[in-house]
Amino acid sequence: MELLIIMVSLFFAAIVSIWIKKGHQILEWISGLASIMMLFASALIARKVVIFGDYSPFALFSIDALGAILLLIISVVGFTVLIYSIPYLRKETAKNIIGFTRVKEYFILLNLFLMAMVLAVTTSSPIFAWISIEATTLSTAFLISFYNKPSAMEAAWKYLIINSVGLLLGFFGTLLYFTSVSSADGTGLTTWQSLLENAATIDPLIAKIAFIFVLIGYGTKVGLAPMHTWLPDAHSKAPVPISALLSGILLNVAMSVILRFKVITDSIDYSFSQNLLIIFGFLSIFIASFIIFTQKNYKRLLAYSSIENMGIMALGFGFGGPGIFVAILHMIYHSLIKSSLFLSAGNIFLKYNSTKIANVRGTISALPITSVIFLTGFFAITGAPPFGIFLTKLSIFSAGIKLHSAITIITIFLTAILFVGFFKHASRMIFGEKPNEITQEKENIWLIFPPLILLALALYLSFYPPPFLHTLITNAALGY
Amino acid sequence: MSIFAIQFLAGILFLSTIFLHLTKKNFGAVTAYSVQSFAITLLLLNSFFETKSFHLLLVVLVTLLIKVIFAPTFFTKLIKKYQLTFSISTQLNTPLTLLTIVAFSAMAHSTMLSPLTAIIPEHETLLSLALSAIFLSFFLIVNHKGALSQIIGVLSLENSIVAFAIYAGLEQSPMLELGIIFDILIWSVIATVFVSMIYRHFGSIDTSVMKHLTD
Repeated sequence: MELLIIMVSLFFAAIVSIWIKKGHQILEWISGLASIMMLFASALIARKVVIFGDYSPFALFSIDALGAILLLIISVVGFTVLIYSIPYLRKETAKNIIGFTRVKEYFILLNLFLMAMVLAVTTSSPIFAWISIEATTLSTAFLISFYNKPSAMEAAWKYLIINSVGLLLGFFGTLLYFTSVSSADGTGLTTWQSLLENAATIDPLIAKIAFIFVLIGYGTKVGLAPMHTWLPDAHSKAPVPISALLSGILLNVAMSVILRFKVITDSIDYSFSQNLLIIFGFLSIFIASFIIFTQKNYKRLLAYSSIENMGIMALGFGFGGPGIFVAILHMIYHSLIKSSLFLSAGNIFLKYNSTKIANVRGTISALPITSVIFLTGFFAITGAPPFGIFLTKLSIFSAGIKLHSAITIITIFLTAILFVGFFKHASRMIFGEKPNEITQEKENIWLIFPPLILLALALYLSFYPPPFLHTLITNAALGY
Repeated sequence: MSIFAIQFLAGILFLSTIFLHLTKKNFGAVTAYSVQSFAITLLLLNSFFETKSFHLLLVVLVTLLIKVIFAPTFFTKLIKKYQLTFSISTQLNTPLTLLTIVAFSAMAHSTMLSPLTAIIPEHETLLSLALSAIFLSFFLIVNHKGALSQIIGVLSLENSIVAFAIYAGLEQSPMLELGIIFDILIWSVIATVFVSMIYRHFGSIDTSVMKHLTD
């Protein structure tokens, strides 16, 4: 029932928005209500999963502990981003950057995007998960080209083609797993569970080839190097709230699909998928660490930080054991903090009208509250204490130091480089003399509140992860 | 359907993919895609005759409507509207393209990938051809600079994967197959809209002229 509420409210919000001819407020209210419904229903679903274990409301859908965690992430970040989108789009409308049609298009696609992600994490069918993830590509392509500029068009095209090809390779890998459960009449619905139960019957070589396709395919969506090239472009050209959703949620949703296939492959050869995750994770951190130094655009800077963090997670899942628990915890922290960073970057963009680092100076005097949030977010995301990411990074490195000491030591060194590179850019933006044309005005509370809430939540969870969340993470770690 | 007919359809899939590489005209590429899709439709029809599943017949009809009629018509209109008669040049010249095609085809038939082509031992040749088509479609997307050629490459990749699934006996429930086709329909529409937008912004559908993402 709860899942139906989420689907119906998001779908209803998207469809009704199509018919609205005028009035920003109606659009905002409809989408706002849908996201509130999603928030409450997700909390109820998570509660059921904590108490009863896997929750299967109806055919084709089953939510396990990881699914419940991701559902909570989608709801919390989705709700906060929606609240932020309202004043953000109003400001852009006031500046005549966009008109009513664009705002309408934004809310329609945003709701469809959220719905596709919910479907992807709650379905029990790998094919339906693929369809849902492909739907996320389709719903966000026009959001990336939202500003209708040549650069945005280019980013959106790159996103569409690279992700579509990647997902088709992932689809091919998915089909190869079905050799263990193939039915001659082709009428059976294959679920994650049936794949896992029949894993022993799959040819080990086919399973390994299939996992390579899945990792490359869905890894493209995750932003793992070297398939990451679409990510910085798409994140830098999309409206800021959409970048927050792409980075904070979508990458994790795609990662969850890889994890589901990892479990199946692990039952054949435990080390194969682990080694691949370690290689791709390490490569992602390596590339992000060095490229971050040369960045000229602060949204791209945040995008490369996402690539690094997805790499850290891949390492955690690859190292296995306690690494899996902390990788899931890292996923939660990263979602909250990165979304907060993107939203505060949106405030900077609204003030300075530029995403170039060179054009942004002295934000601490122009936007004091936003700057504090951005700076705190920077420390949090790079793994400075006392934030949770410090602990998760430390734990992932501890999990890897014994068996993969060389990779772990180089990764520690790379994260230090990344911290310096990120700090170099962040400090230039925050401190220094602000341009004369930038005036200091009172900051809009509704643009401050969402990133602040996300950051505060990340800080709170760093110290006091509630028992229900701990149970969910523990169960998810046991399952993966 | 006799094994010769099934082999003939696999041959059409493979040859149409090679034709997509070699054709210099966009209309030729769209026609080749339409023929390729028709071959896939016939393969699905064969599955229907074997299973007598009404839902599978629905899948056949929807595939015919979307892949053979709707998408090619959409692309043809686009070609006429923007006078995109000739396809944009490729990254590699024709001799190198042909050499790469040979290399990919050899790889698909090699022992290295024999676990995939031996999923159903009696379909080994068919699976090798479908696997070749997968590789060649992927190469088509990478090698061609034209946005329309890239779209057709993605759709050809999807067709090749579907053919592989049919030959390997990995067909899914008709409901999910309908979901996939619906996805392809939406994808085709969105990609076509993007080609129009790219043409309006850049005055060409050559993706190599898109160089605005420098910082």
